[in-house]
Amino acid sequence: MSTDDERTETEATAGRTNSEHTPTGDGGVTDETASNVPTRIRDQFEKIKQTRRRRAVGWVALAGFLVFSTIQAFAATELLDPDARLGTFVDSLSEFFPITFYFDIIPFLDFAQYISFMRHENLLYDPEIGGLLFQWPPSTADIYAFFFTELGIFQIFGEAGITLAMGFVGTMIGFPFALVFGILGSERVTPFPFNFIFRGTMSFIRAIPAIIWTLIFIPFLGLGPAAAATAIAFDTIGNLGRLFVDELEEIEDGPIEAMRTTGASKPQIVFFGMLSQVRTAFIAWTLYIFEINVRIAVTVGVLGAGGLGFIVTSQQNLLQFTNMMATLISIFILIISVELFSQRLRSRLRADDIEMSLWELITGFPRRMAESALK
Amino acid sequence: MSYIEVDGVTKRYGDVVALDDVSFEVPAGEFVIVLGVSGSGKSTLLRTMSGLLQPTEGRVVIDGEPMTSPRPEVAMIFQQHNIIGDMSAYSNALSGGIHRTGFLSSVLQLQDSSEKHRALDALDTVGLLEESEQKARRMSGGQQQRVGIARALVQQPEVLLADEPVASLDPGSAQSVMGYLRTASEERDLTTFCSLHQVNIARKFGHRFIGLRDGKKVFDGYREDLTIDVIDDLYGDIDTEGMFVSGGGRSDEANEEATAT
Repeated sequence: MSTDDERTETEATAGRTNSEHTPTGDGGVTDETASNVPTRIRDQFEKIKQTRRRRAVGWVALAGFLVFSTIQAFAATELLDPDARLGTFVDSLSEFFPITFYFDIIPFLDFAQYISFMRHENLLYDPEIGGLLFQWPPSTADIYAFFFTELGIFQIFGEAGITLAMGFVGTMIGFPFALVFGILGSERVTPFPFNFIFRGTMSFIRAIPAIIWTLIFIPFLGLGPAAAATAIAFDTIGNLGRLFVDELEEIEDGPIEAMRTTGASKPQIVFFGMLSQVRTAFIAWTLYIFEINVRIAVTVGVLGAGGLGFIVTSQQNLLQFTNMMATLISIFILIISVELFSQRLRSRLRADDIEMSLWELITGFPRRMAESALK
Repeated sequence: MSYIEVDGVTKRYGDVVALDDVSFEVPAGEFVIVLGVSGSGKSTLLRTMSGLLQPTEGRVVIDGEPMTSPRPEVAMIFQQHNIIGDMSAYSNALSGGIHRTGFLSSVLQLQDSSEKHRALDALDTVGLLEESEQKARRMSGGQQQRVGIARALVQQPEVLLADEPVASLDPGSAQSVMGYLRTASEERDLTTFCSLHQVNIARKFGHRFIGLRDGKKVFDGYREDLTIDVIDDLYGDIDTEGMFVSGGGRSDEANEEATAT
């Protein structure tokens, strides 16, 4: 009943808006709907069409601008007219990946060359230090010497150990400063204009890459791992502190208010009300920054600060590409190990399940490894 | 002797009036329940009384001293528990006594043993002594709220403010949490001020009732004064029949009859 009413009404409107239109009785459906559209709807449709057209023009203009500026950037980076030497590159590749013939017929990558360089330069393992620990029968004096006189926990990994230690020390020194700057940079702790003193300091530190900080510290500590570790520590303050500030923005007011009503002092409110909410997140971020710091340690090593990065440049300068590749593989192994370790630890921290005991962690490892490999 | 004195308290947020000239006095040791629908100003009233908020006009005086900021002798229990999820129930309870300890000893949990016994005693009061080493986050909502009560008790307050302590709990847990709250306040002789929106629970546990509607105090009286008309006035047009079902007191039955007719 009501639908009938509606139909008559639309027909009436159509008659009003389109007086020339003569109803054709049964008529084609499409024709009827096209001409029966009221003015208001047609106006709206036209408006949408206009907007879409304008937007399309905008997109085309943007795409044109991007293409234009990309070409300019290509020119600036000399990629338009590159000084390419494909032959040299292919030659170097054959040095990067030396080929040997197994059983005199099967061509294969000659890992032996890599391994011999890794052993020669103690890239991943220092036998002199490691020998103290791994010998038969074990000698208590040597084990004592390994831990307490040679301080071998990092040095046992040779050059990789130096790189790892630079990243580790940088994280350890940087962490407390990052914590203080992060907390004081939070608006909840320091009122608005003053927290920007700390946020600004961190922005300044972040603006300068770690490799430049190393250059700045070289006059102070000399070219070596010490300057590199200090630079990484500095970099950590800027980056980790920023992550801490961001994390503290996300916390809930509830526990803070609860601690206020217990009559806690300001430091107690910060510790119990705020930091307790972000403890896991802070540990996870610190592990993440540690991962990055090990990578940075490779980069600053290239400057001459030691570790794997330094071996890469020195072998590159000697045009010993096979040795360089061996070092790159060592870097790959180091970084992947650090990442695996840190990611496992982080996911365990984030996962809120019952913690595994150390024994379970070790004995269950092959099973978990197999499970994740089969996934 | 009046212990809590709320004197013409008005709280405005911009144009919104959350509390409109609310005044009452509560003598020591009473168990007062504030009733009202969501948005009637219950939370604002409790937060003003705790010193977390400052009233726009008027003042709150507790034990002869105006509440200008939170004080240790006024403890607060929150709807969202607001306990620290990463710490054990025991550490949470212990954090109630934080105002009596310095920063380092509270962080390292080096409080003296009387303080630690007090925390365990409070956990015992709320029936969580065995669970005291559990991480608070892994506990159920009702248990978490009981930890919140334990923390408030360790604070050794004289006034206990509870802002909808059972609003996020199922009916069973709500009853038990209110029971623990009532027991604790009777054992320790606390003046308790609790906001609720469940009328049946309120009737079961309260001595005195204060009704808020649109930020105004519309009711203030004891158990026998809380009639169905008052409830209707507080809650408006909604069907209040179901609110009187559980409870078990004689007056409840009388009211059920009143509802039926």
